[in-house]
Amino acid sequence: MAILEIKNVSKFFGGLAANADVSFEVAQGSIMGLIGPNGAGKTTLFNCITGYYEPSRGEVIFKGNRMNGLQPDRVCKLGMARTWQKVRPLAKMSVLDNVMVGALCRTNSLKAAREIAMEQLQVVRMDGKAAFLAGGLPIGERKKLEMARVLATKPELLLLDEVMGGLNQSESEEIVLLILDIKSRGITQMVIEHDMKTIMRISDRIVVLTSGEKLTEGTPQEVVSNQAVIDAYLGESHS
Amino acid sequence: MKDTSAKNVHGKAGFKSAEPIVTLLVLAGLALFPTLVSSPYSLHLMILLFLSIIMGQSWNIVGGYAGQYSVGHAAYFGAGAYTTMLLMQQWKIAPWYGVWAGMAVAVVVALVVGSICFRLRGPYFVLASIAVAEILRLSTMNLKDLTNGAEGILATEIPPLTIAGKVITDFSTKVPFYYIGLGLVVLTIVVTFLVQHSKLGYYFQAIREDQDAAHSLGINLTFHKNIALIVSALLTSLAGSFYAIYIGFIDPPTVLGLDISVQIVLICIIGGIGTIYGPVVGSLVLVPLSEALRSNIIAEAIFATGAVSPTSGVGVFLKENLAHAHALIYGVLVVVVILFMPDGVLGFVRKLTTKRKGERS
Repeated sequence: MAILEIKNVSKFFGGLAANADVSFEVAQGSIMGLIGPNGAGKTTLFNCITGYYEPSRGEVIFKGNRMNGLQPDRVCKLGMARTWQKVRPLAKMSVLDNVMVGALCRTNSLKAAREIAMEQLQVVRMDGKAAFLAGGLPIGERKKLEMARVLATKPELLLLDEVMGGLNQSESEEIVLLILDIKSRGITQMVIEHDMKTIMRISDRIVVLTSGEKLTEGTPQEVVSNQAVIDAYLGESHS
Repeated sequence: MKDTSAKNVHGKAGFKSAEPIVTLLVLAGLALFPTLVSSPYSLHLMILLFLSIIMGQSWNIVGGYAGQYSVGHAAYFGAGAYTTMLLMQQWKIAPWYGVWAGMAVAVVVALVVGSICFRLRGPYFVLASIAVAEILRLSTMNLKDLTNGAEGILATEIPPLTIAGKVITDFSTKVPFYYIGLGLVVLTIVVTFLVQHSKLGYYFQAIREDQDAAHSLGINLTFHKNIALIVSALLTSLAGSFYAIYIGFIDPPTVLGLDISVQIVLICIIGGIGTIYGPVVGSLVLVPLSEALRSNIIAEAIFATGAVSPTSGVGVFLKENLAHAHALIYGVLVVVVILFMPDGVLGFVRKLTTKRKGERS
């Protein structure tokens, strides 16, 4: 069953189509990879799905509800959470407080929020840093903090925008294991990622965008053997 | 550096356990102050200090915690002052009923400002807040039939405070004002404490740190900014009512002027934004400073060191001009604090103490 349906979504900025007529479905419990060259419209699509932009045309359907025009806070309450390509720690708050802000989405009690937050910090193995100021963390830990913070909002669908960008090999591996762990807990994920090896390894299906349009969609094997994809995407970096 | 900042968040256990005792001692001392010191000027200074703390604490909720820099808080201060004063003078309604009307008016103003400006990002809120305060000032100036315009309103007689027919005080001395001021200080600090230790406080700070992140974590930005502004406006209006009744005279520039708005912001910036003790520290610095600059204390101090003779040319110049230059010196000091202590005096002291702790360990 599809938890998320993207139906003919277009987003125009002036005359520029950042997304043009994009359609696909994300199956419940799966990991959907979203790839494409720079400027292909991946983050724009995330913004359309999570309420930061309203699609110019088309529909976003989440759990059977039409999401167009809903504000990001409503989207989050309905069970869809996102991370940011450029991390956004609440710098002057502690790591624990950051995650608590996420947890307060589901509870009004600080005590309950603190418990949820500590659980999520354990999931990303950052419980030892709970008292640190978020602004002082190195990039790898900021990314993990962001993961803990969105997990604390108890999402059913998680949209990860380049969570491995700027990380070294071992940090990336940690995130990959985390993503697989999140999947095993039944949370659906959509992942934007540039590293092909990683995206091939974690995705159940992959959507390829170029210049705002959907080029193709399929299993990782289908996508890498697709000549159009090789030309448009891999061709650039492997020529 | 990172390690020390982290310790700072958690490692105040010893400090915290002493806090309630210190707070109680300070409160007891303040409660006894009027029985020990009877000089009206000392009481007046203390009341000014209280007023400053109340104003700073009120602004801190929307400016310090929620990060929405209102530079038009004179609007709420003036709303409280004018409403209470008008009700008392025109309709003979006692101020302790008038303050509630003052708060209601302030909330209406806050709702108008918030519902329009919080839909927009960036500096719109700051600009609009200044504009609203100026509109109120000019309206008060020109609605002569209602507000007496630029002549202002003089409180001719404050009705005595009675409870169940028994007269508690007739406001003939400064002492009742002292205790009301102290009570309001405690009230604003308690409100700030409660906000800080609630979901609201977490949401306010999240909005201050990063609006987009806060939005994506399920926080309704407009709603929470409005709540912060309303709480802040309520408390600022109380401060305005208190000022009006205490001084006994108000006119548009003194309660609705831009300098009131700036003064409120400065209390927090100097003390430390977004902390409970910031406005207290800021007031402890600013109130004595402006009083000292207004009088000739600084010139006297310079003569006392013997560096300049009071009869020399320079001495005479200082004696005649230093008191008039108070706004200039005040301004320079504010700039110095902002440049060298971006987190306020409180933040600066904290940084020094954590550094020392770091060196010891």
